[in-house]
Amino acid sequence: MKPQVLFTLFLVAGLALFAAGTSFSGETLEQFGDTKGRSYHSDLYDGPSCDSCHEKAEPSAFPPDFACLDCHDGEELIEATAHPEDEKWQNPHNNMHYGNDVPCMECHGEHQQSELLCAGCHSFDYPGFKK
Amino acid sequence: MEKKDYQADRRKFLAGMGMAGAAVLAAPAINAVASQSKVKWDEEHEIVIIGSGFTGLAAAIEAKKLGATDIVVYDKMPYFGGNSTYNGGLFAVPASPLQQEKGVKDSPEIMADDQVKAGRGVAYKDLLLHVAKHANEALQMTLDAGSEYLPYLQQLGGHSVPRTYQTIEACGAGIIRPLVNQCRKLGIKLVTRAKFDSLVFDDKGTVVGAKMMMGHYFGRDVEGTAVNVRSKRGVLIATGGFARNVGLRSAQDPTLTEEVPSTNPPSATGEALLEMFRVGAVPVHMAYIQTGPWASPDEDGFGYVSNYSIYNFAHSISVNVKTGKRFMNEIADRKTRADAQLALRKDDGSPLPPITITSYEHAKEHPTMEKVLKYDVGWKFDTVEELAAHFDVPLEPLKNQIEEYNGYVKSGVDEQFGKPMGKAEGKYIHAPFVVVRNWPKVHYCQGGAQIDVHARVIDSNTWKAIPGLYAGGEVTGGMHGVSRLGSCSIPDCMVMGMTAARTMMKS
Repeated sequence: MKPQVLFTLFLVAGLALFAAGTSFSGETLEQFGDTKGRSYHSDLYDGPSCDSCHEKAEPSAFPPDFACLDCHDGEELIEATAHPEDEKWQNPHNNMHYGNDVPCMECHGEHQQSELLCAGCHSFDYPGFKK
Repeated sequence: MEKKDYQADRRKFLAGMGMAGAAVLAAPAINAVASQSKVKWDEEHEIVIIGSGFTGLAAAIEAKKLGATDIVVYDKMPYFGGNSTYNGGLFAVPASPLQQEKGVKDSPEIMADDQVKAGRGVAYKDLLLHVAKHANEALQMTLDAGSEYLPYLQQLGGHSVPRTYQTIEACGAGIIRPLVNQCRKLGIKLVTRAKFDSLVFDDKGTVVGAKMMMGHYFGRDVEGTAVNVRSKRGVLIATGGFARNVGLRSAQDPTLTEEVPSTNPPSATGEALLEMFRVGAVPVHMAYIQTGPWASPDEDGFGYVSNYSIYNFAHSISVNVKTGKRFMNEIADRKTRADAQLALRKDDGSPLPPITITSYEHAKEHPTMEKVLKYDVGWKFDTVEELAAHFDVPLEPLKNQIEEYNGYVKSGVDEQFGKPMGKAEGKYIHAPFVVVRNWPKVHYCQGGAQIDVHARVIDSNTWKAIPGLYAGGEVTGGMHGVSRLGSCSIPDCMVMGMTAARTMMKS
């Protein structure tokens, strides 16, 4: 194969891998007016609807710990991040130490980047996680 | 950073109070008792427990069993279990069903004697014996809740016989998750983000409640809103140790600076212990802070190597990489081994972690081996040459050491360090090998507030119990003395939690 073709192939393959294997918050954290929010929640930033999650339209506190479950189905979440049997308790949504008791905000940041709770001690891979 | 007000997860909070959908908390009935003190009460319960680890959950379940109808367990974190849900899930029980099955002769007295020895003369024998005598009841509580254990016993460092159960998960979560579910089934209120602030006394000096900061967001600079909680039967402090309070731990031992890692979660900071001291509790053994010699410098937290090492030490050798020779009894108590490891240094004084060598044939019997290999904190070698090259260990001395040790396996006597060779019987060190590195991590605080065998906190002014104040588990001091034996914290926590409930229900 010609060297130029080979090089281009490698470049494209490399970029594809790069895009697939990493998830920077830059990908999904967007600016909506004077607030940063997640691109997949863009509907919620269409007009004054902070009380979709916060208790008040003018938020002065974190939303309740499981407010996210008003829209997201807890059981489906657990299934979505299920692990093979020998690693089953690495499922972030039903994990060894806390079961399904961890409030969403302990890993997920709506208005800012966030770190995985488990990463404090463990080196598990969560390719679907959006920082 | 602007302060955020607390906004309760109202539905959960009120549901826990037994009121579905109500908009406000009913105040009038509670104000009636405020005449005893100037405090305005926001809530009232029968039993108030601070901390949701082994001690707190065991106390709650026992109190319910004894007829309490309004029990609340608070945790300052967003979830339950503290360090209890992190550790290795190792539970020592004397004269247990599994010992009977395996033909191991044991008794509460023998277990207490082992612990007294490790305690180096300052451990409280009455507390140790009390715990040993009731350990089977605590084991039964976990079995009733659904905990499952491996079908064999382990002999941990300093124990004279094998008496240690381990959860199938090899984690304390195998007890905590079932106990949390049990509490929920029994209608015990479990409240997160509730940080204990201070005790409330009446004018007779009895603890009648606690000031709590509700809506506390740990690590996010939101302290929460003050709520005064009255308790009919007093307050149980079950908040664990202070291994992650760098100021407090390094005040006791200046070598435990910020850089020294710990097996405990960041929440292990001991504020409730300090509050007990403030009201007159007696500080006991605060300087005895245990580091775990089974930890690995190659991973964070408790880690996979810890349980792997604990299981394998009995039939393995730990080797100084500089000399290729053993340097300790691999199943001596924790302090003996941690001190021996800490003495291993490079020429410039920096740490030189030793390696622990196990025959693959024996390591593969325990679920931890796969994990240490998978997560690159343990390595398999087909020849001793490869092993020696990987860690830069002098080959001939290492070969001689292995041969020498195998001679002890045959004779049943460790002439180098006096290691009990019962569990090593027939287990020769040979290729292929599995190897890990070890280095101590801050693990457990033997020190804390003084209690009696009824889990009552002692007053340094009167030397009697502080009425209405109870404590159990790692927050207390005296039981383990200088060095706690492995697998002896779970029985301590659970038995003293059950004891506190029994005492509180009699009050």
